[in-house]
Amino acid sequence: MSIFSAKYRPLAKKGFECVFKTLTLKPCDTGLDDQIKSEIVGKLLKYSPALAKIINKQFALLSWIFVLLTIGSLAYSGLGIYNFYLYGNCEGPNATGACILNDITGDYGRFSEPKDLIAPTTLDGIAVGDPNAEIKIVEFGCFTCPYTKKAEPTIQQLIREYNDSIYYVFKPFPLPNHNGSFDAARAVLCADEQNKSWELRTEIFRHQEICSTDGVLAIKNLAKNAGINMSNFNRCYDQNKTDAALSRYIQQGKDSHVYATPTFFINNKTIVGPKTVEQFKCVINENQNLFEQIGCSLGQWWGK
Amino acid sequence: MNDLRSDFPILKNNPDLIYLDSACTTLKPRPVIDAAIEYYERYGACANRSSHRKGRETTEKIDQIRERVAGFVGGDSEGTLWTKNATEAINTVISGFDYSKKNKVITTNMEHHAVLLPLMRLRDRGKIKLEVVENSHPDSNLEEEIRKKIDKETALIVLNNANNTTGKRQKVDEIGKMAHEFGAKLCVDGAQGVPHFKCDLKKENIDFIAFSAHKMLGPTGVGALVCRKEDLSGLRPLVVGGGNVKKVELNKIEWAADQSRFEAGTQNYSGIFGFGAAIEYLTKIGIQKIEEHEKDLRKKMVNCIQNAGAQVYGDESSASALVSFNFKGAKPHEVALMLDQQGIALRSGFFCAQIALEAIGAKEGAVRASAYLYNDQEDIKKFGEKLEKIGKLYS
Repeated sequence: MSIFSAKYRPLAKKGFECVFKTLTLKPCDTGLDDQIKSEIVGKLLKYSPALAKIINKQFALLSWIFVLLTIGSLAYSGLGIYNFYLYGNCEGPNATGACILNDITGDYGRFSEPKDLIAPTTLDGIAVGDPNAEIKIVEFGCFTCPYTKKAEPTIQQLIREYNDSIYYVFKPFPLPNHNGSFDAARAVLCADEQNKSWELRTEIFRHQEICSTDGVLAIKNLAKNAGINMSNFNRCYDQNKTDAALSRYIQQGKDSHVYATPTFFINNKTIVGPKTVEQFKCVINENQNLFEQIGCSLGQWWGK
Repeated sequence: MNDLRSDFPILKNNPDLIYLDSACTTLKPRPVIDAAIEYYERYGACANRSSHRKGRETTEKIDQIRERVAGFVGGDSEGTLWTKNATEAINTVISGFDYSKKNKVITTNMEHHAVLLPLMRLRDRGKIKLEVVENSHPDSNLEEEIRKKIDKETALIVLNNANNTTGKRQKVDEIGKMAHEFGAKLCVDGAQGVPHFKCDLKKENIDFIAFSAHKMLGPTGVGALVCRKEDLSGLRPLVVGGGNVKKVELNKIEWAADQSRFEAGTQNYSGIFGFGAAIEYLTKIGIQKIEEHEKDLRKKMVNCIQNAGAQVYGDESSASALVSFNFKGAKPHEVALMLDQQGIALRSGFFCAQIALEAIGAKEGAVRASAYLYNDQEDIKKFGEKLEKIGKLYS
C-alpha cells in the first residue's frame, strides 16, 4: 500500500527493487537491507546484545526466509483470487464455506452477513414433505455450486430422519459465476413438472463438473438417465417454460438478502454454507437443555 | 559551555538526542531562530531596492550584518558577498576567475566536492590546468607539495583550512604567502574551519574565504564569500539578474561596481538575519573558547572510538571535534543507523568527499562523528558506551 503514499513510496520502490534483485540472484544494492537490519539490530541492542549479534550475523539467512515466505504468501493469495473467481470462495471447492455472491460475480450481492438475511415469505419451490409440518426448511441453492452439492447428503439425511415433521423447499438460486447454473436450474424445474426433480437433482449433483463444463448437452443426458420423458422435458426446456418461475425464485433470494449458496432458513433461523447434520439439529431443536445448548455452541464453533 | 544546551530548542524538545553531525549542519540556538523570524515580523522588505522606510531599515540591517560577518574572518564588508552556501561561494571564485593570462590551478586530494567538481569541470572543458597534490597522509607536508607544483603559470590555489573527513586543520598563511610570490591567489574553503577556530583573511594571506552559515549555528540557505574589495573586480558573477547592474541598454551592460554585482535577485534576508545572530552568538562565547572545548571533545571521542575497537582515520592531533572511523566488517551506514536507534545522530558515507575518503583508505566510506559547542563530555561518554555495544557485534 506504500506506493500510494509519498512518504513511503521511495521505500516501496527500494523494496521492490531489492526483492527483484534478490530473486534474480543479484545483490540488493538499494541499502534497504542494511537499513532494515540496522534498525532491528539497533533496537535489539537495547534489550539483548546477544540476540542482536546473532541477527546481525545471520541477517542474510533470515532475509531469505522472509523472501520465501513472501513468495509463498503471494502464491497463496493468487490461488485465493483464482478460487474466488472460479468458485466465489477463496478456499476453493473442497473447503468448508459457501459460494459467495458479490459485485464481482454478479449484480445481486449487497449483503455479507447472516444477520442481514430475511426469511422468504412464500414456500413455493421444489418441495418435499407435509406443508403443515412443524419444521420448515427453505434452501436457496445453486446446482453447480460445490457447497450446495456438499450440503446435499446432510439434507437427504435430515429428510430421512425427520420424515413427516419436515417440510423442505428448494428455491433455485443460480450464481452467474458458475457455468451451467441457470441451465441446471431450468432443467430441474422442468423435471419437477414430471415429479422427477429429486432424481434429476441427484444426477446433477453427482455429475456437477460435467454440467459446468458441457452445459445443456450434459444436463439433457442426465435427464434421460433420470428416467424423464424427454419429449415433454425438451418442450419445457427449449421453450423456456420455467424462466418465469426461475426469475421469481431469484427475486425471492434477493429479497431475502441471500449472499451465498447454500443458504437455509429453518423456521426463523438461518444457516449459510454446508454444515453437519448435528449442527442442523441444533438449530432445529430449539428446546434444548443447558448441556445440549453448550454442546451445540461448541459444535457450531468447531464446525466453522 | 554546559548551560548553552538550553539555548537550543531542538535539544530541549529531544532531551535524549545526542547530536554528533555538526560537520553536516549545526543545531540552531534560540537567538538565531528569533532573528530569522524577526525579519518577517518586523522588517519584511527588500534591501538595496525599495526606498520606503521598511526597505531602508532592511538595507541598514543587512549592511550591519555584512560588516559583522566580514569582521568575523578579518575582512571588510566591501569585499563580502552573500551566497547560498559555501559551495556557491567557492564556485563563484573558481568559475568566475579570470584564467586568460594564466590557467594553472592547484588543489589537494582532500577537498570537498564543492572544490573538486568545479575545478574538474573546468579542466575537462580545457579552461584550466589542474594540479591535485597529495595531502591524505597524516605526515603530508602540504606546503612542500604545493611548492613542487607552483610556478608563474599558477593562477589560483584552492584548499580547505580544515577538512570534513578527518578534521585535519591546515595552516594556510605560508601557502598564501607562496601564492602571492608567484602572483597567484589563495581561495580557502572555510566551511569546516571558520566555525571552529579563528580565521583571518589578512593575517593568513587569504584572498578568498568561503563559508556557510548553517555550519556555524546559522540558518540553511545562506553563506558568504569574503575577500578584498579589489579582488572582486577580477571575478565574473556566477548568476546574473536583478540587482547586478548600474545601468543596462540592449547593447550594453554596465555592471554594479560593488558586491551587488554578485548578488542577483532577492537575497535570503531572513537567513542573513539569522547568520548575523549566529556570528553574534559565537563572538559572545569566543571562538578561542570553542576551539579549546572542541579539542577536549575530540580527545575523548578518539578514545571512545578506539576503545570500541574501531579504526580512526587521520591525524589524531587534528584539533576539530570531527572523527571518521570504521569497524572492520561493518558497513558505515549500518553503524550509523544502529547508533541512530540508540539516540545518536551522526553521518555515514563519503561526506561529499569521495576522493578524500578513498585516499585515506575508507573505500566504502566511513562513519563520522562531529561535535560542536553544545556537546559535552557526557554526550561523548554515552556515545562511547553505545559504540562499544556495536563494536561487540563485529568482534
